[in-house]
Amino acid sequence: MFDFLIHGFDVALTPLNLGLAFMGALLGTLFGALPGIGPINGIAILMPLAYTLGLPAESALILLAGVYTGAEYGGRMSSILLNVPGDAGAVMTTLDGHPLAKKGLAGPALGLSAVSSFVGATVAILGLTLFAPLLAEVAVLFGPAEFFGLMVFAFASMSVMMGNDPVKTGIGAVLGVLVAMIGVDSGTGVMRYTLDMPELYDGVDFVVMIIGLFAISEILLMLEHAHSKKAEDEMPPVGRVMVHMKEIMYCKWAMLRSSIIGFIVGVLPGTGASVASAVAYTTEKRLSDKDNTFGTGDMRGLAAPEAGNNAAAVGSFVPMLTLGIPGSGTTAVLLGALMLYNITPGPMMFTERPEVAGGLIASLYIGNIVLLLLNLPLAGLFAKVLTIPRWALVPGIAILAFVGVFQLHSSLTAIYMMLVIGVLGFALRKLGFSLAPIILGYVLGGLMEDNLRRALSISGGDLGILLQSGISIGLWFAAGLLLIAPLIMTKLRPSKALTHT
Amino acid sequence: MRIAADRILGLALIGLAALAAFNASQFEVMFSYEPVGPKAFPILLAAILAGLSLVLVFRPGENGEWPDKHVALRLLAVLAVLLVYAMLFTRLGFLITTVVTVLFLARLFEAPWKKAWLAGVLMSVGSYYLFTLGLGISLPTGYWLPKFN
Repeated sequence: MFDFLIHGFDVALTPLNLGLAFMGALLGTLFGALPGIGPINGIAILMPLAYTLGLPAESALILLAGVYTGAEYGGRMSSILLNVPGDAGAVMTTLDGHPLAKKGLAGPALGLSAVSSFVGATVAILGLTLFAPLLAEVAVLFGPAEFFGLMVFAFASMSVMMGNDPVKTGIGAVLGVLVAMIGVDSGTGVMRYTLDMPELYDGVDFVVMIIGLFAISEILLMLEHAHSKKAEDEMPPVGRVMVHMKEIMYCKWAMLRSSIIGFIVGVLPGTGASVASAVAYTTEKRLSDKDNTFGTGDMRGLAAPEAGNNAAAVGSFVPMLTLGIPGSGTTAVLLGALMLYNITPGPMMFTERPEVAGGLIASLYIGNIVLLLLNLPLAGLFAKVLTIPRWALVPGIAILAFVGVFQLHSSLTAIYMMLVIGVLGFALRKLGFSLAPIILGYVLGGLMEDNLRRALSISGGDLGILLQSGISIGLWFAAGLLLIAPLIMTKLRPSKALTHT
Repeated sequence: MRIAADRILGLALIGLAALAAFNASQFEVMFSYEPVGPKAFPILLAAILAGLSLVLVFRPGENGEWPDKHVALRLLAVLAVLLVYAMLFTRLGFLITTVVTVLFLARLFEAPWKKAWLAGVLMSVGSYYLFTLGLGISLPTGYWLPKFN
């Protein structure tokens, strides 16, 4: 049953892949620590380079997955030291992390968060190793109708869980799917929404989309906060990064509980690290905050979200690898990267491309240890990254974005397209949209239509096939429940408040 | 202001949905081997988009923060710099355009002149060698100078 893992370690332990796992961990931590560059941006910027280097699929994935998990590590730095979360998954880390730093415990706080991240990731990697092959075996039974139902469920769960505004999440997802429609329809050869531009016949290029949407819009967004904070003035001294066994033991239950919560939340499609760290923190606060120390620099309040968000980051690989449905925005980008290699992740990957699935999982084990070893002694050094001024950071992002897109086809049209997408992405972010649903829609859109059309081809156009199997019915039912539940909750809440008064 | 913004956005998206649906209805297929064809899914999407946008028109979100005039001007300036970078990228080559772009971007992000110049030259030359020699990416050298390197 674990053949794939043994095979995976053979793949991951080659010098090239070991080096890439190390590089990914290092670059990821740096990217995560840089203000404004979260895991998605890090991957978006590095992906074209991985592609250009001519890396085989499993090596590219190992590099990018290293960046992903590394960025989750790096994201805590600015949360703890500056009270500025690097990305959404690190928001909860500020609550107890920053008070600890203000008490002069920045070093121990960084150390403890590294250990918590390690525990969270380890629990989740073990979970991934155990459950992914099992889930893949079930998923082999899925036909087009079941996959279509699964994607509907994924979008429903995303609308409810991600962001504050379900309507905007939904709109974002639909816009993403519509972008995926652009290009020559593979079934019939009809041109759809190509505006007579030859560059659009193949659709909007994935790299152009990702870099425009994330990197370019981030540059514009950074301008608004250009003079909000000066890192050099406010950063507390890091000191020696030390964490005592006593502190780890004090937090051990918080870590373990949060790891399991994080893993489960991560596995659910559409919910990523931000939801996981919030759920982990609030659960821990309810369970162990006996004397109201949470929020004032309680070690457990730091350990919980850190274990939770790293566990979720790994957990979101489960649906991506077994079902081909990404669990988060970042895994959606990784899924797209795999599609560039003509690999469609899904249940068959464990049997047909074991070097990709197994190699990735094995490299997660290795990367996780590398990250702990890097982060304990070097946290002080990584913290220096926070003081890089924006006037140096922004041109750097711009150069990487331009070169990354230009080298695809040596085409200027791609660069213009990237800029247009960037401006649209910026506008949507200003209007309260989050980008993850858009990217999920864009990545899943083509697959969703394919599966729908394949299912209806099988049935000769009879819509009944969509609800023929128990699995499909269950998925549609769950999706409906998810969409209706919040409506009922808001209806109930005022009446409850009335009965209390 | 955001309330208005959400309403306008909602209306614009309904327009987009109508356009997408109309466009989809024009897709003509010569031979079809399947019952669904290329039209149905986009039209379904347009319908969902229109429905959700309608909710946005009637129940717009909360007020947001909008850039003031000063920031808006600088946003346009950053966009202009990036656009000019794109227009001159192949014509003048990577090295020179990158120096100028980094210089102006750094200035827009409030770097002093001296540091901006330094950043421009160092980042341009450094990344040029990193990309061409380190990663084997070919970058435009421009067609205004005799080729060197």
